[in-house]
Amino acid sequence: MPRISVLPSAVADQIAAGEVVERPASVVKELVENALDAGATSIDIAVDDGGRARIRVSDDGSGMDREDAVLALSRHATSKIRKASDLVGIGSFGFRGEALPAICSVSRMDVETAPADGAGTRVEAAAGTVASVSDAARRRGTTITVSSLFYNAPARLKFMRGARSEWRAIVDTLTLVALARRDVRITVTHDGAPALTLPPASSWRARVAALWGAAAAEKLVDVDDVAGPIRVEGLVESPQDVGTGTRRIFLAVNGRAIRDPGLVRAAEAAYRSTIPAGLRPTLLLSLTLPGSDVDVNVHPAKAEVRFRDRWPVERAVEGAVRRALGTMDAAATIGVRSWWSERGDDLPAPVPLGVESLRDTGRAEPGPLFAEAVGVAELEAVADPRPPAPDPPPLEIPPLTQWRRTYICFEHEQGMVLIDQHSAHERVLFERFMGVLERGESPAQRLLFPLTLHLGPAESEAFDANRELLERLGFEIEGFGGHTLIVRAVPMPHPRFDPERCLRDTLDALTGDRLASGAARHEKLAATVACKAAIKAGEALSLDEMRALFAALAGTTLPAHDVHGRATIVRIGWDELERRFGRR
Amino acid sequence: MRFTITREKLQEGLAAVAASIPAKTTLPVLANILVETTEKGIRLSGTDLDIAVSTEISADVETGGAITIPAKKLSEIARELPPAPVRVASSGEQRVTLDCGRAHFRLLGLPRDEFPSFPSIKFSESWRVRSGELQKLISHTAFAVSTEESRPILNGVLWELRPDMMRMVATNGHRLAKMQVPIKSSGMPSADLIVPPKALEQIRRLFPADEELEIARGENHLGFRSPFTAVYTRLIEGPYPNYEQVIPKDNDKVAIADKAALTSALKRMSVIASDQTHRIRMSFNAGMAKFSVQTPDLGDAQDELAVRFTGDPLDIGFNASYLLEILRFIPTDEVRMTFRAPERAATLEPEQWSDPAQYLCLVMPLRLVD
Repeated sequence: MPRISVLPSAVADQIAAGEVVERPASVVKELVENALDAGATSIDIAVDDGGRARIRVSDDGSGMDREDAVLALSRHATSKIRKASDLVGIGSFGFRGEALPAICSVSRMDVETAPADGAGTRVEAAAGTVASVSDAARRRGTTITVSSLFYNAPARLKFMRGARSEWRAIVDTLTLVALARRDVRITVTHDGAPALTLPPASSWRARVAALWGAAAAEKLVDVDDVAGPIRVEGLVESPQDVGTGTRRIFLAVNGRAIRDPGLVRAAEAAYRSTIPAGLRPTLLLSLTLPGSDVDVNVHPAKAEVRFRDRWPVERAVEGAVRRALGTMDAAATIGVRSWWSERGDDLPAPVPLGVESLRDTGRAEPGPLFAEAVGVAELEAVADPRPPAPDPPPLEIPPLTQWRRTYICFEHEQGMVLIDQHSAHERVLFERFMGVLERGESPAQRLLFPLTLHLGPAESEAFDANRELLERLGFEIEGFGGHTLIVRAVPMPHPRFDPERCLRDTLDALTGDRLASGAARHEKLAATVACKAAIKAGEALSLDEMRALFAALAGTTLPAHDVHGRATIVRIGWDELERRFGRR
Repeated sequence: MRFTITREKLQEGLAAVAASIPAKTTLPVLANILVETTEKGIRLSGTDLDIAVSTEISADVETGGAITIPAKKLSEIARELPPAPVRVASSGEQRVTLDCGRAHFRLLGLPRDEFPSFPSIKFSESWRVRSGELQKLISHTAFAVSTEESRPILNGVLWELRPDMMRMVATNGHRLAKMQVPIKSSGMPSADLIVPPKALEQIRRLFPADEELEIARGENHLGFRSPFTAVYTRLIEGPYPNYEQVIPKDNDKVAIADKAALTSALKRMSVIASDQTHRIRMSFNAGMAKFSVQTPDLGDAQDELAVRFTGDPLDIGFNASYLLEILRFIPTDEVRMTFRAPERAATLEPEQWSDPAQYLCLVMPLRLVD
């Protein structure tokens, strides 16, 4: 007798069921995806005893005629592909023709379906065998009821968890579906009690609010960006809320929820320097890219996909999230949240106003010496009536005032806004220094009287480790025996810059730093120097300096956060003020 | 106290003192002007504790006395008065009335005792300097002082007094201006004084050029006075950096250029230069200076200017705003520039200046990146 034999198909289905159907949640997932593939706009899910007793999924999709309904229960029977080449660029959730027969092989299944209102079909099956086929009157669509899951597979049955645990898994599964397909109405009942009611939602935010409540939705910032053929949209947590609630991750590629640690890392990279190390943000992102660039036929449960070229996809995700955090929406707020999308839109590219605007003002004659001329530091160029460049439109700078020599405040349509001058300047300088380190050059002003710094051993070590980068930033430094440095040239990032103090504080801060490499090291140094070089809280700023800082901040890619992840901008909405004054 | 003064005299006196009144102060009396009667008239004084200005104007004094009056309000009133004699009278320590034509004002002042006393300076040990000479030194150097607070010593102008000349030097560590004028000795001590530019500006403004000023030194202060007006200032203490050491003596490349043409070319380049550094590149070659500027995200520009150049060709970078600033003060039509190397100091001087004064400006270059 031959020792090898082809397994009966029922056994093969049971084995396949092991891959596809692990627990009630996978049944729910397969059935709901089938419903979506059938074009359903409304799906009702009823679950009893955590899915252990019964799972029923009803949709208003295309339905099946009698022949199809019976065939659907046999293995690799599918309406979704016809030939192998259809696998490339697959657009539907299911396609392998495995799910229904696999589920059927380990449960009692009851399928009611009709391609049009009226005459339909009812198929009853158990353990993979069709028991009866009969007429049934029903509306267009399909209802599949799966009961006694794993009744004939004791090994599986033994490993089913308690009802609550299985129910939680089902909710997680449905959450992914609900986020991926916001356009579909979904209702869920558990043991007869309504658990979730999700009307069709026009936006991510509305769906998130229906799922987790409005408060959760308010902590998120919209992402919507296109890079080449890749579109990234969704919601990510605003940095000041990271770590305050449950972290949720949702990734979808072409509407299919997937797991992909690489994309998560890319999105988290966009938070670099806005949140403290160790905190992980909530990310709800959906990618749309050409079907030919992505392979979904990697995993039986289709939880993973393979990208033809992974790098641009990660880049697109990082860029999209970074841009989203860069809008003022990501700014910390007090009181009622007001969405500021138009604010984000009208913060344009850098405008030609630097804190260091020193251009000659065009006075040909030696003017009065002092008030104007002494001020290398004065910002006459800002007030200079120069013809504005037609494109881009000039940034409109609102009237600014300084409070407590620390905050620059101004009025906005939707509330009052405060900018922390140190944090804001730090962000401006950080981005400038990063640019310098990455492009590899910075102007260095030679000094008439070189600075002499005496360093301790730890600072000397920090200097040796960072010497090359400091020189790129514009510090020209000679070692002068032992721990003495002679600084011959310094960068001039702004007129109040104190190079000696900046260098000393920077080396102090870098003491005992582990040697990072590459970009991380650049970032660390740029952040340190920016922090030490930025104007401090407590420094009185002239109006022109405030204006220049405002403009420079608007020109940064992440205006809302400083390099330590603290907010640079805080808004207090009018409604908050009105509430406090008892006006509403 | 009771006196009568012409409207014009009052306005004149207030204008002289007003600049020394601080705009914001924590000591309320500093916002006031001290009005005292003297033998010939009245004396108005103001101070911000760093500098003090007082000026005497003629008035008909009926009864002597003194009071302080809010400076801002008094100046505004004086400006709006009808053309008629002004009668001022105090009643008690704090009240003052002012009548002019049919206008009548009553102001609340502060007692004279609250006004800080001026530094004690013995003008018996004074020396004399012609105001015009001082004005010349001040206006050609003070622009170069530092406004940064990290090195207070550079916030002042160094005023060197020597038996046969006096010299002022100012620098912010990137550029320096130095001018000296010969003087006929008049009992002047040899001294190095570091004077806040704010005081120098008052001196330049208040004293007519042909006036002989009496100058005397107190412990920490310096006083300047003419028969009617006096300025006192705090001195900045500390050793001034050794500037002689950084003035190049071996610059072997010399370019002589038309000041106006050079200024225009630099202004053109500045349009494209970075807002932060104003960096431009200058390339000198026989008979020609080429300018170029390149700013990422903005663009680039070039220009050329015929110059008389001797020496090996040179490429050097500068902060254009420093050059432009110095050019404004160069008193001749042509400017003489000297260089040594791209990382060494350059000098700018007037060319063919028929003046006994000597003027030298110095600029440190910016690093050029290729």
